[in-house]
Amino acid sequence: MVEFEIGDFVIEREKFMNGKTDQNKHNLTRRDFVKTSAALAAALAAGTERIFAAGSDVLRVGLIGCGGRGTGAAKDCVSAAPGVEIVAMGDMFKDRLDSAFEDLKKNLGDKAKVTREKCFVGFDAYQKVIASGVDLVLLAGPPHFRAAHLKAAIEAGKHVFMEKPAGVDPAGIRSVIVLAELAEKKGLGLVAGTQRRHQAHYNEIMKRVRNGDIGEIVAAQCYWNGGDMLGYWKWYEQSDTLKGMEWQCRNWPWFTWLSGDHIVEQHVHNIDVVNWALGAHPVQCMGMGGRQVRTLGNIYDHFAVEFEYPNGVRVSSMCRQITGCADRVSERIVGTKGATYTDSSVGYIEGAKAYKYEGPNPNPYVQEHTDLIKSIREGKAMNEGRQVAESTLCAIMGRMSAYTGRALKWDWAMNASKLDLTPAKYEFGDMPFEPVAVPGKTQLI
Amino acid sequence: MEKKPKEKRPQLSRRDLIKTSGLLGAAAILSSTSRMFAAGSDKIRIGLIGCGGRGMYDTTNCLKSAENVELVAMGDLFKDRVNGAMQALKENLGEKVKVTSDSCFVGWDAYKKVIACDVDLVILTEAPHFRPEHLRAAIEAGKHVFMEKPVAVDPVGVRSVIESSALADQKKLTILAGTQMRRIAHLVAIMERIHNGDLGKILGGQCVRIGGGMLDWGARQRQPNWSDMEWQIRRWLFLTWLSGDFICEMHVHNLDIVNWALDAHPVQCMGMGGRQVRTAPEYGDAYDHFAVEYEYPNDLRIEYMGAQIDGATDRCDQRLVGTKGSAYMDFGNAIIEGEKPFKYEGPTPDPCIRQHADQIAAIREGKALNEGKRIAESTLTTIMGRMSAYTGRALKWDWVMNASKLDLRPPKYEFGDLPMPPVAMPGKTPLI
Repeated sequence: MVEFEIGDFVIEREKFMNGKTDQNKHNLTRRDFVKTSAALAAALAAGTERIFAAGSDVLRVGLIGCGGRGTGAAKDCVSAAPGVEIVAMGDMFKDRLDSAFEDLKKNLGDKAKVTREKCFVGFDAYQKVIASGVDLVLLAGPPHFRAAHLKAAIEAGKHVFMEKPAGVDPAGIRSVIVLAELAEKKGLGLVAGTQRRHQAHYNEIMKRVRNGDIGEIVAAQCYWNGGDMLGYWKWYEQSDTLKGMEWQCRNWPWFTWLSGDHIVEQHVHNIDVVNWALGAHPVQCMGMGGRQVRTLGNIYDHFAVEFEYPNGVRVSSMCRQITGCADRVSERIVGTKGATYTDSSVGYIEGAKAYKYEGPNPNPYVQEHTDLIKSIREGKAMNEGRQVAESTLCAIMGRMSAYTGRALKWDWAMNASKLDLTPAKYEFGDMPFEPVAVPGKTQLI
Repeated sequence: MEKKPKEKRPQLSRRDLIKTSGLLGAAAILSSTSRMFAAGSDKIRIGLIGCGGRGMYDTTNCLKSAENVELVAMGDLFKDRVNGAMQALKENLGEKVKVTSDSCFVGWDAYKKVIACDVDLVILTEAPHFRPEHLRAAIEAGKHVFMEKPVAVDPVGVRSVIESSALADQKKLTILAGTQMRRIAHLVAIMERIHNGDLGKILGGQCVRIGGGMLDWGARQRQPNWSDMEWQIRRWLFLTWLSGDFICEMHVHNLDIVNWALDAHPVQCMGMGGRQVRTAPEYGDAYDHFAVEYEYPNDLRIEYMGAQIDGATDRCDQRLVGTKGSAYMDFGNAIIEGEKPFKYEGPTPDPCIRQHADQIAAIREGKALNEGKRIAESTLTTIMGRMSAYTGRALKWDWVMNASKLDLRPPKYEFGDLPMPPVAMPGKTPLI
């Protein structure tokens, strides 16, 4: 198939919104909910401040990060189950918040309960959203802020849906892992926007991989080779005289400290599928990359990484954001008895136990919310925090290896790396671009 | 050493050949071989074309590899290279170097003059760009050939090498390629096992070579009297039209090992790459890193990664994994883990000498030895990876081999103006 998933959420989501797939109707009735109250009580006892609005089955949602993905996530969340309302919103920038506010009001009708009084702007907007009497927050700010936003949400006892990736550096990942454990203790739901985990054909393929249908896994490949994304974030066209904090934040995909670079921001999807199939994270990696065409910001435009998993299994990862090149967004897992192929719409196995998924393909961007809300309402809150943190760290270590030219071990990246891309201050003003990484010269931190 | 009289071809000395030339005329012309050899007794006369470091190294090894091998002619584009090589070779090899000032040639047609000397075997070690033309001239003139890798820089050149190799077969000439890893003992031993099925069905593999940036290579400073053409040729390693880029120029060794193990060439590939460090103008248009996924028959995918970057983690190895085990191969080790474990512990005599000994013996014994097509295919493997990385496009072998019109020859071979080619930009550089 021709892959053209520009900013996966844009195209994939449009595809689903065009009605090509079944919308998975959530069937939880009010009566079902009442039945599950015992489980909820247990969850409450576990330290959750509020599961959702007491005495009603309405799940009150706060949106943090009102860009394209945040607005999309809000719509997906509302349509994922009955009794879900958007009640608060926050963003760094007023114009982003305003357009999202209008969009949600227009498209969600009375499910967009949010009022102007519950709209917040600035670096601390997320704290105000969390303090607005919400049950669930959607974290869709740039990846850099994920760890801080998650910390505030989990400490305040909120369920969380957070977009991928889970961070941009090892310091952030360690924080997310600690918070995921805290969420577990508190019985809070924590689902990540790695929506392939909630997609029917991926689940069917993985079930068969687990069942040994392709034998012992010996190799894998994963790819996200696509276009340059310039058509999807137009902010870079704004004044280039003030390239300080605001300009960088508005153009976040192109700055490593904000997005983690495209291997982290986008390709984490495919790396996550490999981790899922192997039931493990890599033990070491060696990567390379560069920017041959791209001139905006300081991220690369291509990466290739060899990840080595336990038992010497080597996995090839390639990702590229250059328009006019071969596009390929997929994963392939090779075992002694067969191989799987998966992409955003197809899943099959070739080999001794051949299989092709032919069933319905509910919109995974909605399904992930359906699964989260169901788990919350049943008092068995899902927690994908560690899993997405690990997949994100895979991508981060791949990037670090490519940037420095050094082969890296997982244990070092996870436990010893001091890389922390947090800027000196969160305030709008001058801020120089970090230089583009040069392998062999850029320091390994 | 006693030779087995199994060859059907007449064993003639040079003198015999001359004496019987009337008788043999028809047959000699038919086979177009200018000279045949008495078993072990006659001299083999070598012509060296390309007097750089590798040319001197190969010549030295060739002359040391067997008795009665002499260097009789030399040629290079540049006078200083010829003079330097002559002096160094005479110092090191003494009597075996019979070259005189009359058999030293300089310039664009130096190779023709070397071939026109009374030589039996030519060593082709000019920049890879020139290999197809030099090979064709040598084979047409009935000379045996040792040629360094890679053997071309573009598909047009690869096709020419394959044609010349076929002609060499007709003429019963030997062609040896400088992929000496084909003769190193530990790899020969492990390949036997791989081909014997000790890994089971091969399911995946990696080929990785990360090394230094070669930043100090060659003439760093352009002399005032050097034309563009001379400057580029003196910097040939970093110009794609001359070297094929490093994936081709150096890493053909590694990808040749993969082709050898799989006894196949890829059916398609998808590559990426760029120059992130070696960006100064004196580094021409060469990239400093490549990553290519090669797909071989039966959906077997091999990941190649290559870089020439100082300060990166060095690595140079090949690995294959199959249903019954995995093989690790580098330039010093050969290890199989799995159902039929193996580790090579024997000696590894220098394959750079061994390869010449094999060729000299083949020539003297009239044995067939022609690696032309094989090295052409390994060279094309690297060229298609480079083309894919440069353009960003996924490519099929059949298209590259048969349909690509990429021909990197300059408009004219003369010392004059020649603009520096632009660095390739994936998505923009056209696929030709």
